[in-house]
Amino acid sequence: MRQAPAALALAAALGLLLPGPAVTDTAGVEAIVKDERGKPVADAVVSLTAPGTATPAPRATAAAIMDQQNKEFVPFVLPVLVGTPVTFPNRDNIRHHVYSFSAAKRFELPLYTGTPGAPVVFDKPGSVVLGCNIHDWMVGHVYVLATPYFARTGEEGRARIAELAPGAYEARVWHPRLKTDTDKTTMPVTVTAGEPAQVTFSVALKPDRRPIRRPGYEGAQGGG
Amino acid sequence: MGLHFRSFRSRLVVVFLGLFALIQATGYVAVSAFVRASARHTVEEELRLASTLFARQLDVRTQQLVAATRLLSGDFALKTAVATSDHATTASVLENHRRRVDADVLMLAALDGHIVADTQEPARRGGEFPAPRLLAEAETGRDASDVVAIGRRLHQLAVVPVLAPEPIAWLAAGFAIDDRTAADLRRLSGLHVSFLAGPDAGAVVHASTLGAADRATLARGVAGARASGVLELDSGEHLVRVEPVGRDVVVVLQRPLAEALAPYDRMLLVLLVVAAAGVVLALLGAVLVARRVSRPVLTLARGARRVAAGDFDVTVSVSQRDELGELAMTFNDMVGGLRERERVRDELERTAKLKRFFSPQLADALSAGDESLLASHRRHITVVFCDLRGFTAFAEAADPEDVMRLLHDYHATIGPLVFAQEGTLERFTGDGLMVFFNDPVPCPDPAARAVRMAVAMRDAVAMLLAEWRRRGHALGFGTGIAMGDATIGRIGFEGRFDYAAIGTVTNLSARLCQEARDGQILVSEPVHAEVEALVEAKSIGTLPLRGFARPVTVFDVLGLRTESAAPAATRVTP
Repeated sequence: MRQAPAALALAAALGLLLPGPAVTDTAGVEAIVKDERGKPVADAVVSLTAPGTATPAPRATAAAIMDQQNKEFVPFVLPVLVGTPVTFPNRDNIRHHVYSFSAAKRFELPLYTGTPGAPVVFDKPGSVVLGCNIHDWMVGHVYVLATPYFARTGEEGRARIAELAPGAYEARVWHPRLKTDTDKTTMPVTVTAGEPAQVTFSVALKPDRRPIRRPGYEGAQGGG
Repeated sequence: MGLHFRSFRSRLVVVFLGLFALIQATGYVAVSAFVRASARHTVEEELRLASTLFARQLDVRTQQLVAATRLLSGDFALKTAVATSDHATTASVLENHRRRVDADVLMLAALDGHIVADTQEPARRGGEFPAPRLLAEAETGRDASDVVAIGRRLHQLAVVPVLAPEPIAWLAAGFAIDDRTAADLRRLSGLHVSFLAGPDAGAVVHASTLGAADRATLARGVAGARASGVLELDSGEHLVRVEPVGRDVVVVLQRPLAEALAPYDRMLLVLLVVAAAGVVLALLGAVLVARRVSRPVLTLARGARRVAAGDFDVTVSVSQRDELGELAMTFNDMVGGLRERERVRDELERTAKLKRFFSPQLADALSAGDESLLASHRRHITVVFCDLRGFTAFAEAADPEDVMRLLHDYHATIGPLVFAQEGTLERFTGDGLMVFFNDPVPCPDPAARAVRMAVAMRDAVAMLLAEWRRRGHALGFGTGIAMGDATIGRIGFEGRFDYAAIGTVTNLSARLCQEARDGQILVSEPVHAEVEALVEAKSIGTLPLRGFARPVTVFDVLGLRTESAAPAATRVTP
């Protein structure tokens, strides 16, 4: 029963990517993100912008959800369109104290249970690091984008962006542990009707070195 | 008895004492060396142990410091202040938190390594963090701590990230290591504690329990020092152990050698006193032993001197049973032998003297001891007088040589006969001779002995005189024998004593001798009565004798009866 609202929230989030009436089914991009050793990278966000076209991004209205489950942020990385309200439902039987000191969005949800009444609206693009004041190991990321075309990689390092108007785009990759000096975070991509365009990013990541771990953590890479 | 070095006794004492002192000295030196080595080893062990404990304590302190710093870094207010770049608030929170953990300094560094806030020296803001290496270390997620110099003081510094929840800054907390810290450690360990920075090139003593002069010496001494050893400071020799406590900082633990040796010094003093007492006792013992050894030697020497002086009554008494005892015994035996020889010689001399008066047998008896025989007393004796007839005329006419030769032959002839009958020779008077019997040793038949002797003399002298007669000398031999009481004893003066018989009987025998012609043996009637059975005798009748009021009945003994005649003498005169 506890998973049901999460599934709903996920479905709502994915709803953004559902096919609309103006775009063809087949036009899209399939991105693969690997690290320097060729291993697939999960939780990377791949986004597309059409260069030169300063088309104002549509303001999102649908809410996104960042769960707190089992004293972790779920998902680890949540990409949202700028202006998206995000709710922080606490699904644990203890309280959490969620905060962010990030420039893109500074907020604080002092100790609470359940779902706070007002969602937090992420109105500036950028990365927002989430923490919990009483659980040092809890880290989450909300990546706020100015383009509606984005997707997050899964365990196999793949992300698929569909229902695109054919044309030239710039693909960009982001990851919480992306090394700041990585220069291959963008690459051009041409979207055509029919076969989805293939984009492969090879990124350099900082080692996952969180100073304080969740109780019971066994050293598995990634974590959610 | 002075202690002359050349004397046997003092040489013995010196050798004995010298040996003992040598043994004592060797023992003392050996023990002293051992004690020193042992003390040094003890101190080294102490230092090693202390440094181990010290390192462990420092570890614990470091962990506590890191934990405390981490706790502080988790404070949300601090994070908020840092994240909002609210400098005044950040500094204030830092000062507040410094007091919470009683740290000496709290510093906040930005991720790029410059100081954002500093409770100790606010002016350092914007400068480089003093231990950038610690930041790099903290970035890797490890516990970052070290002993570093901040300003002019050493601090034990821990650096942790401020997480929000990713690192937004570095928080550093430090505890000063100063003279007070060193003093605290000294109270705990009893050792001198010094902290030096940059021991490789130009060490600087930052904190120490030592005085200023020793600090400078220590800084110079440790510059090229080993991990442990002896360091000569102004306050004396120190055993030193150097232990690193940081990348560029060492702690030096040390203890004065004299302090460690102090209890052993007392022991050595006791040892010295005991050794000295031992030497004194040994001296006494040596003197006693030497005296024991030398005393019998001296006793022997004294005895030998007395023997050399002719005193043979020496007996050295040495109770020992060793070689000296044996020597003393041999000495005593030797002196005993000398004494015996001397005694025998004396006896021989005395006997020879006695033999002037008495028969050899009697002389022996007298010399064997009983001189009381010679004391004055009255005794019934038989007296024999004899002399040569015509001797005075012969002595005047003949050559002196002939006279002396005759006397010599005469005495040689009759002398043994006197002794043969055990008669007592009272005197020689030239040609005359007086012998008596029954004194000083009583005999059962004095008259018979007297007569036998007289007969033997007459016969022997007759043969001797026969030759002289042939040469024309009218010589003869007459004898008189009488019996009666006489007073007998020693007469004369010191140096010339004679044993003499005085009384009528002597006179009578002398008169009878005068009356006797050549070859006649005239005896008084009592004598004849005694020997009647023994001899052939002819009565002469009575003779008027000068000095005697009444004529005396006289017999002439012609000769002895044949030997078959039984001895008539049964009457024993006491």
